[in-house]
Amino acid sequence: MHDKELSHEESLKLISSMIGQAKDAYHDTGIGAMLWGIVIAICSIVKFTEIHFNYRLPFDIFLLTIVAIIPQIIISAKEQRNRNRSVKTYDEVFLKYIWIGFGIAIFLLIFINNAVFQSWQPVAKEYTALTGNAPSFRFSEFVPAYFLLLYGLPTFITGTACHFKPMLWGGIFCWVCCLITLYSNTETDMLLTALSALVAWFFPGLLMKREYQKSKRKESADV
Amino acid sequence: MFKDLDPILHAQLRLAVMSLLIGVKEAEFTFLKEKSKATAGNLSIQLNKLKEAGYIEINKQFRNNYPLTLCKITRKGVEAFEAYVLALQSYTQNPES
Repeated sequence: MHDKELSHEESLKLISSMIGQAKDAYHDTGIGAMLWGIVIAICSIVKFTEIHFNYRLPFDIFLLTIVAIIPQIIISAKEQRNRNRSVKTYDEVFLKYIWIGFGIAIFLLIFINNAVFQSWQPVAKEYTALTGNAPSFRFSEFVPAYFLLLYGLPTFITGTACHFKPMLWGGIFCWVCCLITLYSNTETDMLLTALSALVAWFFPGLLMKREYQKSKRKESADV
Repeated sequence: MFKDLDPILHAQLRLAVMSLLIGVKEAEFTFLKEKSKATAGNLSIQLNKLKEAGYIEINKQFRNNYPLTLCKITRKGVEAFEAYVLALQSYTQNPES
């Protein structure tokens, strides 16, 4: 490309071609989405089996989500290092903060749930002592709804911002499951949570990975 | 009444650079070079012209002991680019004038 003067049509064509190239500069590897999809699905299915087969693991299986932060940090660092597309897009920056905010919100929600449980337990005990029956209201039955509500939000935003329909529908799927869990038992809630994690993150992650590999191949061919 | 086209932007390589930078937060020299298919020397000259006009910011750093040049469009650059596109549109909509 030289420093030549352009006709008006050539200028417009050049602008649209360059904007298009810059727009295609960001492709997520999809590995993070796949990781969290599989981790949440495993945790939920194990929880389902605990309830269904009436056994208890010596630890809360959802602690696995804290362990999964370590591979996520390694994946992010590796992706940063391997990024040969030397450009930072607005989408990339915006989505990074959306997902960091989501992570913070999830941990706050766990903290809030624990606080509610601790406040509710003495009330439930008192009710049982007075009436001889366990209270019909169980806060734990509503917990999956809060999580699914949050799962849907960044997924829906990512889907719409990146024009990536599998994630857009994945986000909507989380919200539909969120509503269903209000009327279903905890066992079903766990299965719906597992299904949501697969639909919203794991399968879109697989598609993202495929797109990423395709863009890498195209890049290599161009060079 | 037609507006004059900004002479800084009305050149192939400088316009290509501005069009690449308008859609991203920042880009490395290598990205601009790859996408514009320009030579390093020519690109360097044109980037400096854009910088002198206040349309872009150039930030030189080091990464793993290698020099790294980061370019970012400025507010003034965005305004100039928008004005340029508007002017172009007015020309193409009334080509006989």
